[in-house]
Amino acid sequence: MTAAAPLIELRHISKSFGPIDVLQDISLKVHAGEVLCLLGDNGAGKSTLIKILSGVHRPSAGEILLDGRPVAFASPKDAQTCGIATVHQFGGTFPLMSIGRSFFVGVEPTKGWGPFRVFDRKRANTIAVQAVRDFGITRIDDGDRLVGGLSGGERQSLAIARAVHFGARVLILDEPTAALGVKQAAHVLRIINEAKRRGLAVIFITHQVTHAMAVGDHFAVLIRGAIAADFRKGERTREEITDLMAGGEIMAHIEAAIEGAHADT
Amino acid sequence: MTDRTAAASPALARRSAGRAFSPGSHLRRPEAGALLGLLAVTLFFLVFGGTGFLQPAGVASWLNVAASLGIVAIPVGLLMIAGELDISIGAMIPAGSMTVAIIAGHGDQSIWLAIAAALALGVVVGWINGTLVNVTGVPSLIVTMGTLFAMQGVVLGLSVLFTGTVSVALPPEESGPVAKFLFGQFIGGAFQVVIVWWILLTALYVFYVHFSPWGNWIFAMGGDRESARNAGIPTRRMMVLLYILSATSAAFVGLCQAILFNSAQVSAGMSYIFNAIIAVVVGGVLLTGGFGSVIGIVFGTLTFAIVNQGIYFTDFDRNWSSLIIGVMLLAAVLMNNVFRRMALNYSPKRT
Amino acid sequence: MTVTRLLAVSVLALAATAATAADIAVIGGKTDDPFWAKIKKGLEDAAMAIERDGGSVTYLQLQTYDNLGPDAAQLVRTAISQGVDGIVVPNWVPEAEDDAIRAAIDAGITVMLMNAGNIDKARELGAINYVGNDEYQAGLAAGRYFGDQGVMNVICVNTVPGAANLEARCQGVADGLAEKGGTAEQLPLPATSFGDPTAVAEAIKSTLLGNEEIRGLITISAGDADSAAIGIQQAGKTGEVMLGSFDFNEAGLQRIQAGQQGFAVDQQPYLQGFLATSLLNAYIEFGNNLPVAPIATGPGIVDSSNIEATLAGVAKGAR
Repeated sequence: MTAAAPLIELRHISKSFGPIDVLQDISLKVHAGEVLCLLGDNGAGKSTLIKILSGVHRPSAGEILLDGRPVAFASPKDAQTCGIATVHQFGGTFPLMSIGRSFFVGVEPTKGWGPFRVFDRKRANTIAVQAVRDFGITRIDDGDRLVGGLSGGERQSLAIARAVHFGARVLILDEPTAALGVKQAAHVLRIINEAKRRGLAVIFITHQVTHAMAVGDHFAVLIRGAIAADFRKGERTREEITDLMAGGEIMAHIEAAIEGAHADT
Repeated sequence: MTDRTAAASPALARRSAGRAFSPGSHLRRPEAGALLGLLAVTLFFLVFGGTGFLQPAGVASWLNVAASLGIVAIPVGLLMIAGELDISIGAMIPAGSMTVAIIAGHGDQSIWLAIAAALALGVVVGWINGTLVNVTGVPSLIVTMGTLFAMQGVVLGLSVLFTGTVSVALPPEESGPVAKFLFGQFIGGAFQVVIVWWILLTALYVFYVHFSPWGNWIFAMGGDRESARNAGIPTRRMMVLLYILSATSAAFVGLCQAILFNSAQVSAGMSYIFNAIIAVVVGGVLLTGGFGSVIGIVFGTLTFAIVNQGIYFTDFDRNWSSLIIGVMLLAAVLMNNVFRRMALNYSPKRT
Repeated sequence: MTVTRLLAVSVLALAATAATAADIAVIGGKTDDPFWAKIKKGLEDAAMAIERDGGSVTYLQLQTYDNLGPDAAQLVRTAISQGVDGIVVPNWVPEAEDDAIRAAIDAGITVMLMNAGNIDKARELGAINYVGNDEYQAGLAAGRYFGDQGVMNVICVNTVPGAANLEARCQGVADGLAEKGGTAEQLPLPATSFGDPTAVAEAIKSTLLGNEEIRGLITISAGDADSAAIGIQQAGKTGEVMLGSFDFNEAGLQRIQAGQQGFAVDQQPYLQGFLATSLLNAYIEFGNNLPVAPIATGPGIVDSSNIEATLAGVAKGAR
C-alpha cells in the first residue's frame, strides 16, 4: 500500500496573510484507506490548512498533489470536483430541509425535460436514505424528515454519506465530534472507520486525543503553524500526544504558569 | 421556554407516533399553521359577520385586496426563505404606477411602452438591490431601506420635474381597451383581473419553488449560504434574480393599480411593506430563512386580507379594527411556531 | 438638493444682511405630499418678488410626519440659528412648538402662522396673523354642501383615524349636515389599508353594500377619492351616492368634469404659501399690516360650476 502514490500529499505548504505566517512548511501524505488525524490546539492553523485543502485559500508556497500529480484549486467547487469533500462541525447541512432535499442540494435529480424538469423527490429520498443506511445508520428511514430533527451524530453521518455518495475520495472532517456526547461521537467514529474501509483518504481534524487514537493510522500535531510531530499509530502514548499538543517541550513552562495562576483546564 | 418545550413534547410524541397516516405529515408542512389560521379567521367572521363576506361581492372584497398583496408577498417570501428582506417594494409600487401614469397619462405615449418601462424599472432596481446585497455584505434590510428612500426620491423628483405634480391621472382612454382588459378590468363586475394574474403567478411559483430543482436552491441558501455555495449553487445569481422578481412584481402591482384606479400617487404603497411581511410570516415562512412554502404564503395573504376586510361585515366599532387585525395575526403566527416545532421534533418512535 | 439650497440661502443671507432685506424661513410638509407641493409653489412665486428686493425665502421641510410637533419645533430652532428675519410656520402641535415659536419672537424674529393653528393662538404667541384654513370650517362647508344637494346620509372616510385635523374635518361634515337635517358618520380605516387603493375601495364598497341608506361619501384626501370612486362603482351605486373629497388631484377634477364626483373642498394651499410669505415680507420690509385676521384661504368648493377655471390653475401647478 505504501508503495503506491499517496492519494493526497502536501509538499512544503506555507501560507501567510500579509506579514503574518499562518502555516510554515507543512508536508503531509494520506493514502487511500488511511485516516490522518490532524491534532492541534485552537489557533494552531488547522482551519487555514482545511481551507487550503478545500480550495478556499491558495497556498503562498508549496504544492498539493493528488494521485501524485500537482493540482491547484481555483475554488471550493474545483476541489470538490477533484473529489475532496469537507464536512464541518455542524454537518454543513440545512436544518429545515428534508433529508432527501438537503442530500441533493445543487445536484438535484430531475425527471421531465427543459423548463418543466421536476425534482424527483422519490428518487432523492430513496437514494439519500439508502446511502445513510449503508453507513449503518438504520434509524433514518424517511427521506421527508427534516435534517434539524436528526441527532448531531446522525447529521454528521448524513453529511459524510453525502460526500461519499458524490464521489469524494478525500474526506476532510473538521472537528466532527467536538459538539457531540460520548454515544454520538462513537457513532461518528464508526462512520469514519466505514469510510476508511471503503478506501477513502480521511483527514480527521480534532483536539480530542481519545477520538483520534480510536480511528487514526497516522498522526500529525500542528503547533503555531508548523508540524511539531508526525508519527504512526502505536508510536506514541496518549500522554505523549497530549503533551505534544499542549506544546511539548514548553509544557514545563506552562506547568510553572499553572502553579502560579489559577488554572481553568 | 424550556418548560414549555418540555410540556409540548408528550403531545408531539403522541402525534408523531401516528406517522404512517397522512394527516400527521400534512400537519408538519410549513403551510399547516397558515391553513388553520385561515379557517379560524373565516369561522370568526362567519360567526360575527354572517355569510355576507362569503357571497360574491364579499369574496371580491377580500380577494381583490389579497391579489395585489399576494403578487408582492410571494417573491418577498421567497427572499425571506433565502434569508433576505426586501422593503424597497414600498417604493416600487408607486414607482410602477407613476411610471405608467407619467408616460401614458401625462406624456400621451403608448400604454405598452409605459408598461414595459415600469417593468424594466423593476428589473433595474431589483438588479441594484441584489448586486448591492451581494457585493457589500450589508444586511439586506439596510440595503433595501436605502433603495426604498432613494426610489421615493427618484419618483418624487421625476414626477415633479415632468408633470409638476405628485398625483397623475391615467384616464381609461389613455390606457386603451386592451390594457384595461388585461390589467384593470373587473371580471363579473366585481373581481379585479389582478386575481387572475395572482393565480397564474402562484401556479408558476409553486412549480418552480416546490417541484423544479431551482426551488431547492432557495431553501438551501436560506438554510446555510456558505454550504449552498460550496454545493455549487450560484447563490449570487439566484439572489439577484430573487430581488429582480420582487421589485418587478411590485412595479407590476403598481401599474395594475394605476390602470385600474385611473390615477397614481407618489406616496402610496408604504403599507405594503408591513402587509407583505405579515402575510409571509403568517404563511409560515421563517423570518430567519430556510423554511416556508408558496401555498403557505397564499394562505397567509388570504388570512391577512380576510382579517383586514372582514371587519366591514361585522357590527364592530370600526375604531377597533387595527386591534382585531393585530391580535388575529399574532395568533396566526403563534400557531405557526407550534407547527414548526412539531416538524422539527418529529422523528419516528419505534424503540 | 437641500445642501445646495442651504448654500444658496447662506450666500443670500450674507448679501441680505448688507441690503437689510428680509430673509424668511418657511416650515412645511414633505414636498412629495401633493398638498405641500402647492403651498411651495405659492411661496416660490412670492419669493420672486422678495428676492428681487435682495431678500430670500428658504423652505425647511419635514422628512417624515411621524414626529410632527418636535420635528417642526426643531426646524423653528434651525431657522432661528440661521438668523432669519421672519418665520412662517404651521402650528401643528402647539404643546411641542409653542416654546420654539416664542423663542423666535424673543429673538426679534417676526412670525406668521400658516396652515395649522388659529388667530387666537397667533395673538397669544405674538405672531402677526394666521393664514390658512380651519379644518372644522372646511368640514362644515362640505356638510352644508351635501345638505343643500339633498344628500342627507353621508359617511366620512378617514384613512388616518386619530389625526386631529382629519377628525375635525369629519366632525365638521357631521355638524354641517346636521344643520340641514341630515346625518354623517365617520368610517375609520385601519393603518394596514393606508396607501393600498384596493383595500380602501373594497372597504367603501362593503360599507355601502352593508348600509343601503348611504347617499353621500367624502374622503379626507384626494388619493382616497380615486379609491372611493371605484368602491362606489363596485357597489353599483354610481350616480346614487354623491362623492366628495377634501383636497383634489387631477383624476378628481376629471371626475368632477365628467360628473362622476360631486365636489371637492379646497383650502387653496397656493394662497396659503403665497399670502403668508408675501404678507410677512411686506410687514418686515414695508411695515404693511393687513387688518383682516385671520386670513382664511378656504374652504373653496370646486364643483361643476367652476371646474374649468380650476383646471386652468392646475395646469399651472397652483391648484
